[in-house]
Amino acid sequence: MAPKKTRRKWRWTRLSVQILLLVVFLYLLIGSRVGADTLLPSDLFFHLNPLTGLSAMLAEKRFIVPMLLGLLTIGLTLVLGRAWCSWICPLGTLLDWTSLRRFRNAPGRLSHWRHVKYLTLAAVLLGALLGTLSLLVLDPVTILFRTLTSGLIPGMNWLVTRAETYLYRYDAFRGFLDGFDNFIRGTLLPAAEPYFVPSIALIVVFVGILALNTIRPRFWCRYVCPLGGLLGLVSRVSLLRRSVDQDKCNSCRRCARECPVNAIDSEKAYASDPAECTLCLKCVEDCPTCAIAVRPQPQPAEPELEGLTRRQVLGSFGIMLAGVALLRLAPLLRGTEQRRLRPPGTSEDDVMRKCIRCGLCVNICPTRAIHPSGTGADYDGTWTPMVVPRLGYCDYTCNRCGEVCPTGAIPKLSLPEKQQTVIGKAEIDENRCIPWSQNVNCIVCQEVCPLTEKAIELDDMTVTNDEGLEIVVRRPVVVRSRCIGCGLCEHWCPVKGEAAIRVYPDDGEGEHRRRGRS
Amino acid sequence: MSTIDRRQFLQRMLVLGGGALATAALLSLLSCFKEEAPELPSDNITPLPPPPEGAAYLAVARGDDPAALVQRSIDALGGIGRFVKSGNDVIIKPNICVSNRTPEYAATTNPEVVAALVALCLGAGAKRVRVMDHPFSGGAEEAYVTSGISEVVRAAGGEMEVMATMKFQDTTIPLGRKITHWPIYQDVLDCDVLIDVPIAKHHGLTGASLGMKNLLGVVLKRGEFHTDMSQKLPDLATLIRPDLTLVDGVRTLMQNGPTGGKLEWVKQTNTIIASHDIVAADAYAATLLGLTGADVSTIRAGAQRGLGTMDLSGIKIEEIAV
Repeated sequence: MAPKKTRRKWRWTRLSVQILLLVVFLYLLIGSRVGADTLLPSDLFFHLNPLTGLSAMLAEKRFIVPMLLGLLTIGLTLVLGRAWCSWICPLGTLLDWTSLRRFRNAPGRLSHWRHVKYLTLAAVLLGALLGTLSLLVLDPVTILFRTLTSGLIPGMNWLVTRAETYLYRYDAFRGFLDGFDNFIRGTLLPAAEPYFVPSIALIVVFVGILALNTIRPRFWCRYVCPLGGLLGLVSRVSLLRRSVDQDKCNSCRRCARECPVNAIDSEKAYASDPAECTLCLKCVEDCPTCAIAVRPQPQPAEPELEGLTRRQVLGSFGIMLAGVALLRLAPLLRGTEQRRLRPPGTSEDDVMRKCIRCGLCVNICPTRAIHPSGTGADYDGTWTPMVVPRLGYCDYTCNRCGEVCPTGAIPKLSLPEKQQTVIGKAEIDENRCIPWSQNVNCIVCQEVCPLTEKAIELDDMTVTNDEGLEIVVRRPVVVRSRCIGCGLCEHWCPVKGEAAIRVYPDDGEGEHRRRGRS
Repeated sequence: MSTIDRRQFLQRMLVLGGGALATAALLSLLSCFKEEAPELPSDNITPLPPPPEGAAYLAVARGDDPAALVQRSIDALGGIGRFVKSGNDVIIKPNICVSNRTPEYAATTNPEVVAALVALCLGAGAKRVRVMDHPFSGGAEEAYVTSGISEVVRAAGGEMEVMATMKFQDTTIPLGRKITHWPIYQDVLDCDVLIDVPIAKHHGLTGASLGMKNLLGVVLKRGEFHTDMSQKLPDLATLIRPDLTLVDGVRTLMQNGPTGGKLEWVKQTNTIIASHDIVAADAYAATLLGLTGADVSTIRAGAQRGLGTMDLSGIKIEEIAV
């Protein structure tokens, strides 16, 4: 029997690797946001993720070279099984740490639930094949990244900023706050205060995933995660697998009872299902008789799809197909939805075909112009990037979203190219615009327009005001041909609520609208 | 899970309800002690102190070395020691309104002018000199770099401060008529010396963007300032009163202000105008744009409010050729 000390080393090794990789994940998230030259590419985890890679390539029907990095993970799985889930996956790490053991009461297996993850996987891939990547919202890496950038970090930022603002009234705190604020701004917290349209929805989904731990430990990983499903399939033929030395085993059941993913079947001589085992090595360490080891095994494992009939499988595929079809119906509703602006250089089609919903562009946009869309009228576009000028304008001297996009859904544009790329066209709502509706000067939109030849001009108009006096009012007029839809005007429009000047997708019909110049 | 019976349930509800009521009662009691809003004093603007013996009320320096213009114009006002004392905390507020214009477009204050001021303040023994603005387009740090200001300010020993959200505190403007409170950058109110360094620019609303307009960089919600600006801006200026206003007229943006973008709109005017009186400095600087103080509604309103004088004939002006 090996001494206790060496037998615990796996636990600490695994914890260290998990912490290290989570730190790398956060470092890349923050590093890409502050524009630092990170040591590793900021989209590393998305490229390592074989699910996003496979789906993106299926949807686009072409090879995306950096996405082939996912083969590394597949290779790893071919050797070590689903080690990704216990050692690398940042969401898996968090789920490990939030086991919520105290709230759990029903032990026992939910074996038939295990198949759900294969169905989610099938749905994701089927959807991709049919041209929608919406179901990548179920990918664990994108879930965590999106929740952090658009939910948790903005929330934390709000709390910290409010606390700071409150305390700054008191002289005693000022010295400390100055240093503290300098330290966290632009690093842990964004320099500009971020608000995102669907923050709450993101957090609710995330908390929901954590809360599933109260039913079974790592419920998400065991039963739902499509990436887990993909790696589980590969794991059946992995080289190194767990084996139990029947001579040493004293049937104490400890391994079966404590396995975090319930992969061990006490009825089958404590063998484990390689598709479930995440190689956390807990059983290896805990076994009182040292009967468990991880050894090379040349034979592939038996598939364990017991309890799933052909009829059920076919039925599920039918449901999936219907689901995807419903998702794809959504574009037909597009005429009725709210205006949806996309990041510069991209089109509705590009977004739907290429975007893996990772949220890198949302994270990196320094002016918080890009938001993950909520569901809106278009379920198919859930969490795709959209520009919301009222909350953040597109900075004239920035093209970072295109540079960071891992799939090319947002094209890389040089700054001069981007500065001529039309996101939309501004239109003035004369019923709300102050100079138009109240005969009071304002000019903010004209002032902030970043173009040298401003896309908003001021027309001096002589009007009769409420008191019957003739006055000259400077009324803004959009020169449509110049406007690139950056949204500075909409962002700064001082009218409360909805702006009086708004950017709309360019439908090519603007020349026929009244008042605006072309 | 433990269960509770009806009695326990009712008891808990009573305790909770009572607690909530008591809290509400306490809060409403507290609000009785809240300060009454003070009666708005009509025009109690503290008059500006007269310049010391021998010093000019307003100095105008012309020449092609911006740093020398700063030095000489301040000398004419009695030297930097008149404004900055040893150990003072100084804030310099240039105009760095956007991140996409280099200095030659005259949308942002001339870096040499700012650097010269930083050096002068530090020379007078200032504890620290901070330079800051709050661009409406692009990030502050980027804008500081593009404007050329951060490089020279740091070289001169000053600090560039990115304005922190926490420091914008809702502040009462006791003399305000149109606006009585606004989120204002606290450090600008609390520092020992505030120096306002606008660049002379054309502006689509008021005709000219000068010292008083430059104060908009230290408040939030500035879009809302633009309706009735000639009322709101003087309101703000009753609270934020720079100790020195120095208008950078080395280059003047003659049209399509405040952001410009073409060199043909920029005129080399090689002038620095300095005064402790923001209205007088603005009124003189308006001439760079071919206007008079009376042509610019905000200057007119500022003078009427008693913030300073726009009557240039009644003050001692020293004109220096460098």
